[in-house]
Amino acid sequence: MLDKMMKTQLFAWVDRRLGLEEIIKSQLTEYPAPKNLNYMWNFGSLALLVLVLQILTGIFLVMYYKPSAELTQGGFTVAFDSVERIMRDVNFGWLLRYMHAVGASMFFVVVYMHIGRGLYYGSYKEPRELLWIIGVIILLIMQGAAFFGYLLPWGQMSFWGATVITNLFGAIPVLGEYVSQVLVGGFAVGDPTLNRFFSLHYLFPLLLVAIVGGHIHALHTVHSNNPEGIDLHKPEEQINFHPYYTIKDAFGVGVFLLVYCYIVFFNPQMGGYFIEVDNYVPANNLQTPAHIAPVWYLTPWYTILRSFPDKLMGVVAMGGSLAILFVLPFLDRSKVRSARYRPMFKLMVIMFFIDVIVLGYCGHSAPTSVLKVVGQIATGYYFAFFLLLPLVNKFEKNKPVPEGI
Amino acid sequence: MADQADQSRRNFLYIAAGGLGAVAAGATAIPFVGSMLPAADTLAASKTEFDVSTVEEGQLVVIQWQGKPVFVANRTAELLKQVDGHDDKLKDPNSEAVPAVQAEWMETPEQRKYRAIKPEYLITVASCTHLGCIPLYKPTTGRKDWGDSVPEDWFGGWHCPCHGSFYDISARVTNGSPAPHNLHVMSYKYTSDTVVVIG
Repeated sequence: MLDKMMKTQLFAWVDRRLGLEEIIKSQLTEYPAPKNLNYMWNFGSLALLVLVLQILTGIFLVMYYKPSAELTQGGFTVAFDSVERIMRDVNFGWLLRYMHAVGASMFFVVVYMHIGRGLYYGSYKEPRELLWIIGVIILLIMQGAAFFGYLLPWGQMSFWGATVITNLFGAIPVLGEYVSQVLVGGFAVGDPTLNRFFSLHYLFPLLLVAIVGGHIHALHTVHSNNPEGIDLHKPEEQINFHPYYTIKDAFGVGVFLLVYCYIVFFNPQMGGYFIEVDNYVPANNLQTPAHIAPVWYLTPWYTILRSFPDKLMGVVAMGGSLAILFVLPFLDRSKVRSARYRPMFKLMVIMFFIDVIVLGYCGHSAPTSVLKVVGQIATGYYFAFFLLLPLVNKFEKNKPVPEGI
Repeated sequence: MADQADQSRRNFLYIAAGGLGAVAAGATAIPFVGSMLPAADTLAASKTEFDVSTVEEGQLVVIQWQGKPVFVANRTAELLKQVDGHDDKLKDPNSEAVPAVQAEWMETPEQRKYRAIKPEYLITVASCTHLGCIPLYKPTTGRKDWGDSVPEDWFGGWHCPCHGSFYDISARVTNGSPAPHNLHVMSYKYTSDTVVVIG
C-alpha cells in the first residue's frame, strides 16, 4: 500500500518539497535490520508507544487537574480534590488517570526490559557507546519526570516522598541547602513546590521527546545490534525494517496492550505497587506515614541510599549507582558483545538482574535488620558487577563467535 | 583579500565576543534561578505563638512554624533524668556541630544538655536531619513498649521510621544513625510564664 501511495501525484508534490521518499526509504522500507532479532528487541518500540500514551493522557488530565495546596472547605486541598474529581465526576476521568498512573509503571517495566536486553547482548559496546549514553540520559529524565508527577496528587506518599528526595540534595556540601531551597521554593515542601513540580512534570516529557529523537538518530547511524552480537555485512543477513519489523513490533504492541488494559481496567493499583494505598490519604505535613517507600521502579536506588549509615555516603552511592551506567561502555573491555559467547559475563549479568530485583524488594519493604544486611550485600554486588568488568575478560574463555547468521 | 586578514586579531574578536556573550547568557540565568528561591511572603519572618501549658505532662505535640513541623514536648522529671549517662553514644552531646543545632539562648551547660530554656519544655524542629521525616516519639527506656524497633539499651527519645535514626530525649542524634545532626532548634522566648513566641 505504501508503494502505491508513493506513486500518486500528491506524494510527488509533497516529496519535491519535503524529500519524503528519501526519508521513507532510508528509515523504513530500505532500512536494514538484522534478520535474527528476537522478541527482546520489541521493547524499544513499546517504550515509544507508552511515551505517546503518557503525553496524550497527561494533556487531557491537565484540563482538570489543579496544582494548588490551598485548603478546601472539605478539609482537603485543591490538588487532592481535583484528582478525586477526575476520578468521580469527570467523564472518563478515571480511565485517563488510571491509564496515566499505570502507564508510568509500565513505562519503567518496558524500559528496564529494554536496558536489560542492551546489557545482556552487549548493545552498549563499540560503536553504540553514545546510543547507550543517550539512553542513560533518557532513564534519568524519566525518573525525574516520574518523581515530579508523583507529587501532584498531593497524598501522603507524594508529600513525604518529595520531602525525602529534596532533602537528599541537602547532603551536597556547601551548596546543598541552597539547592534544596531552589527545588522546594520554601523551607519545607508546600504550595510553591507543588506548582514548580507541575511545571517540570510538563517540561520533562518534552525533553524526553527531543532526546528520544536523538536516541533513534544514533540507532539509525550505527544500526541495531543482534542476539549474536556480531557485525553483519552480507545483504542476506538483513531484512528491511518495513514491513518485517513494523509487523513484528505491531504484534508486540498487541500483546503489550493486552497486559496494559488488563491492569488499567481490573487491577490499576497492582496491590499497592503501581499506586500506593497511602497516597489516598491527603498530605499531612505534621505526620509522617509509618512506612515510606518510593514506587517500585525507584526502590533499587532507594535501597542503595539506605545501605549507608552516613547521609552523604548514601547520597553519593545512589548518585554513583546511576552515574556508573554512563561509563559502562568503557568498563567492559571484551570485544565479544553477546553474553551467549561469554560464559562468565553471562553468569554475572544474570546475577545482576536478580540483584536489582533483590534491591527493589528491600527498598519496598519496611527496614528490618536482616533486610538491611541483604540490601547492603546487594548494593555491594551492584557495584562489583561494574567494577569487575574490566578484569573479567582477562580470565574469561569466550565460546567461538559465529562469522555470520 | 582573505589572506590579508589578520587571523589572530579575528580569533581574539571571536573569543572576546563569544566570551562576553556567554557571560551575558549566564547572567540571564540569575533571574530564572532566582525566581525559584523562596518568595518574599514565604521568607517574611513568620513567628508562631504557642501556650506550652496546653501540653500535658509527658505529652508531645507537633505544631507548625514557617511551614515546618515543630515538636513541643513536656518532659516529666523522670524523662529529664534520661538525658544523662549516654554522652559517649551521641554524635554531638553539646550541640556544637553546626549553627542550626544551637541557639543564642543556650548559655549554660544545663541549657545545652536539656536543649531548652525551661528544661521541661523541649522545642525543636521536628524534621529528621537525615531526609526530613518526622521521627516517632518513644520516650520510655528499654524495649518494653517499642519492641525491637529500638536498641536493647534504649535510653528513650525519638526513632525515625524512614531510615532508622535515633535521637535521645533531648533530641540529640545517636552514633550509627544516618542523620548527621541533632534535631534543629530555633530562637524562641517566653513572653509570659507559659506563652512562647517561636522565631
